[in-house]
Amino acid sequence: MENTAIEKQDLYYPMMSEIVKVETLTNLEKRFEIALPDNQILGHLPGQFVEVSIFGYGEAPISICSSPTKMPNFDLTVRNAGKLTDKMHSMKEGSKIGIRGPYGNGFDVTKFEGKDILFVCGGIGLAPLKSLIDYTIAKRQKYGRIIILYGTKNPSEILFKEDIKMWQGSKEIEFHMTVDKPDEYWKGNTGVITTLIPPIDLDISNTIATVVGPPIMYKFVIMSLKGKRMPDENIYLSLERRMKCGVGKCGHCQINDTYVCQDGPVFHYPHAKQLEEAI
Amino acid sequence: MYYDSNTGLNKMKRYYFDQPTTDKFVEFLMTQAEVIAPQKKGDASYSYEVVTSGKDIVYDYPRTIQPLKKYFLPPRETLLSFDSKNNEFKKTDIALNNRIFFAIHSYEMQGIKRLDYSFTQGNPEFNYLQRRENSIFIGISFNPDKWHFTKSVGISIEEVERFSLYFEPVDNGFLVFEVDDTGKELISKFGNGLSLDASMDFEVREKEFKTKIKYHYNRLPQVFEHVYNSKVWSDIAQKCVGCGTCNLLCPTCYCFDVRDEVELEISKGKRERFWDGCMLNEFAEVAGGENFREKLSSRTRHRLHRKFKYITDHSGELHCVGCGRCTKYCPANISIVEIINNLIEEYSDHQKEQII
Amino acid sequence: MSKPKVAFFDFTSCEGCQLNKLNLENDLLSILELVDIVEFREAMDDKADEYDIAFIEGSISTPTCVERIHDIRRRTKILVALGACAVNGGINAMKNLYPADWVKEEVYGEDKYLFPSIPVQPVSALVKVDYEIRGCPMSTPEFLHVLKSLVLGRKPESFDYAVCVECKLKENECVLDKGMFCLGPISRAGCDAICPSNGQYCTGCRGLVSNINENGAVDMLKQHGFSEKEALNRMRLYCANDIEN
Repeated sequence: MENTAIEKQDLYYPMMSEIVKVETLTNLEKRFEIALPDNQILGHLPGQFVEVSIFGYGEAPISICSSPTKMPNFDLTVRNAGKLTDKMHSMKEGSKIGIRGPYGNGFDVTKFEGKDILFVCGGIGLAPLKSLIDYTIAKRQKYGRIIILYGTKNPSEILFKEDIKMWQGSKEIEFHMTVDKPDEYWKGNTGVITTLIPPIDLDISNTIATVVGPPIMYKFVIMSLKGKRMPDENIYLSLERRMKCGVGKCGHCQINDTYVCQDGPVFHYPHAKQLEEAI
Repeated sequence: MYYDSNTGLNKMKRYYFDQPTTDKFVEFLMTQAEVIAPQKKGDASYSYEVVTSGKDIVYDYPRTIQPLKKYFLPPRETLLSFDSKNNEFKKTDIALNNRIFFAIHSYEMQGIKRLDYSFTQGNPEFNYLQRRENSIFIGISFNPDKWHFTKSVGISIEEVERFSLYFEPVDNGFLVFEVDDTGKELISKFGNGLSLDASMDFEVREKEFKTKIKYHYNRLPQVFEHVYNSKVWSDIAQKCVGCGTCNLLCPTCYCFDVRDEVELEISKGKRERFWDGCMLNEFAEVAGGENFREKLSSRTRHRLHRKFKYITDHSGELHCVGCGRCTKYCPANISIVEIINNLIEEYSDHQKEQII
Repeated sequence: MSKPKVAFFDFTSCEGCQLNKLNLENDLLSILELVDIVEFREAMDDKADEYDIAFIEGSISTPTCVERIHDIRRRTKILVALGACAVNGGINAMKNLYPADWVKEEVYGEDKYLFPSIPVQPVSALVKVDYEIRGCPMSTPEFLHVLKSLVLGRKPESFDYAVCVECKLKENECVLDKGMFCLGPISRAGCDAICPSNGQYCTGCRGLVSNINENGAVDMLKQHGFSEKEALNRMRLYCANDIEN
């Protein structure tokens, strides 16, 4: 890609970028559309992240939730969980923030071509997977079935309601969701995300599973997938750690000998399985 | 006469400096660049400091508190200063001064070599590399005390790699070895007009290390292949209080934290980085609150694997240089050599069982 | 944005933390640019009904304290416990280790009935504390950090690691190695290791690091020649409510 951002940066110096759109998704999450300076294109792969920087508040790793096919801007879905994200939630369109990245290992989209893709998204895990979902939808003819499983704790935490409506209405996409703790208006499935896996009919040898969710979720989702005899090589995970510098130096995100900010956050399951501290 | 064949000291051109000549040499060095050398700190400690008077240099120091890394990766460093009102920031200027690091031990130099690896791997880091420019190192021999175990990790006292000159104490002075061209140049500049004693008979006796790892260092990565679930880690966790001293004073540790601080005029401030360590409580904690290495046993395990396996698998070198700081300065008297020897014992017992 | 209204209140304490703030001299005017100080007994008399930030100094040790702290909590948006007494009871909490009657007799003699007194509690035992500034006395740089952070609307940094870290960053000679007592390996940092940097030992005035290995800490101090009793007593100096056995 031309005019991509990464080659022009010093390791720790952000590009001063602009928030061009803010959208409230839930009580805790907002989506921000970001424009880099000089019409630069981020040039990311689905699954990669950036370091967001606000002077006086620090930096935080945020996964990119829009497809690389959306250009020139990109989207970040941010949960209000700390100093920086709290400040970011108070920012309006036109505000400036710093961006470093994109960083890390993303999904190898060419390797997935011709395959059915199963997305298993728990909670905020939908945000990093959405970049891949949107990408596969944008290049729909290159991929087989698109099956999205989405679980949240309760209905108020559901993200991207507009997109979900679109996915539910599309014949090209199979979408199933569940909530763990329904409220009085909830009419859909209830239970944890693993309850969605057994009923799905999968062509196991030709299906790629991508899994993102809270730390506790991976073990159980993998167990369910193994229950369907899905081979390890077909499973991809994205793991969250404290990716503070983003460039493989500060040490905070290490899982055993691996820097998540370099070799992750997207891991091929056969690799992740070798890392004792991973799952 | 003993020399480790690798160091090749016996092939090098050498001079005899008596103490007055050595003092003059230090004065000469100070005309060439900023000189940094071991000096006394507190009652019974030492520290690498900028030399203002040659008399302050301690030639027979056992080790300094902080390793030499403090000159390349400062304990606290401003990464950038910002003005949030105008959304502007300024990078920190890192001066490119010539610096001569004088009277440095072999393990210290090897520590810098390991850091060079870590900071050039993947994404080379400008700040570190800029500070590493224009540095000259002059080595000196040392007498191992009960904490040094450099030989057990493959670093001899006379390892001269990356030194320009090397000082070996002899009666009333030093033998000074020309290790590289920079060293040769220094000597010839200094010796101009002086008649330096070149060559002479010399004898250096092998120095005994009191602390030893039971296995040859080549076998240590192999031991670490098998001890991930060892009981040794939880045994250590009984004694360890998690203060982080071992991380902070380690010559090859380089993890850091970054924090923003504003001035009283709150739109202005600095982004600073500090040494950090994987032994500390919150090191692996994420914003959501999950701590991925909550237990002290898993933290010690991680620290030791970083020294003997994780980086070693890529760099081909142990990332422990045997300086003994983590042990000498541990308030709970935990010995890294003892940990390793316990792991070796468990490993060898296990191997024996397998044969039976 | 209008300036936040800031108030300071003192409970059971020596008021040393408040005096420490007045030592800010050079910065006081700049601070007044950032915030409006509406209640501060050591410095002025004005009173306001509502506050943006209330700094609480001192521990809770009387029934009146209990009433006042609830009242302040109702009237402030952010409540900051300031100094060891407010954060974890501090030195005052040592009295909890002795029978209440004996303590009253010892302190007030025959007037003991005039002074109702309850076991010493940190502010957080009664009301929600948003942020803490630890230490005896609190450190002025940290106070400034918290004040600036709150004006920025961000969570201040808190330090849940040992004083040893700051000591090593400053390359201090270890005071334990000098034969002195020291709680640095298990006490919370944030003070920039001020005591060991000035030839003193760490008394643990900022409380203990969370998740500590208490048995290991006692063993460590024993190895340096201090008895278990002395080790625990010294840990209790500022952490009477936190050390069990």
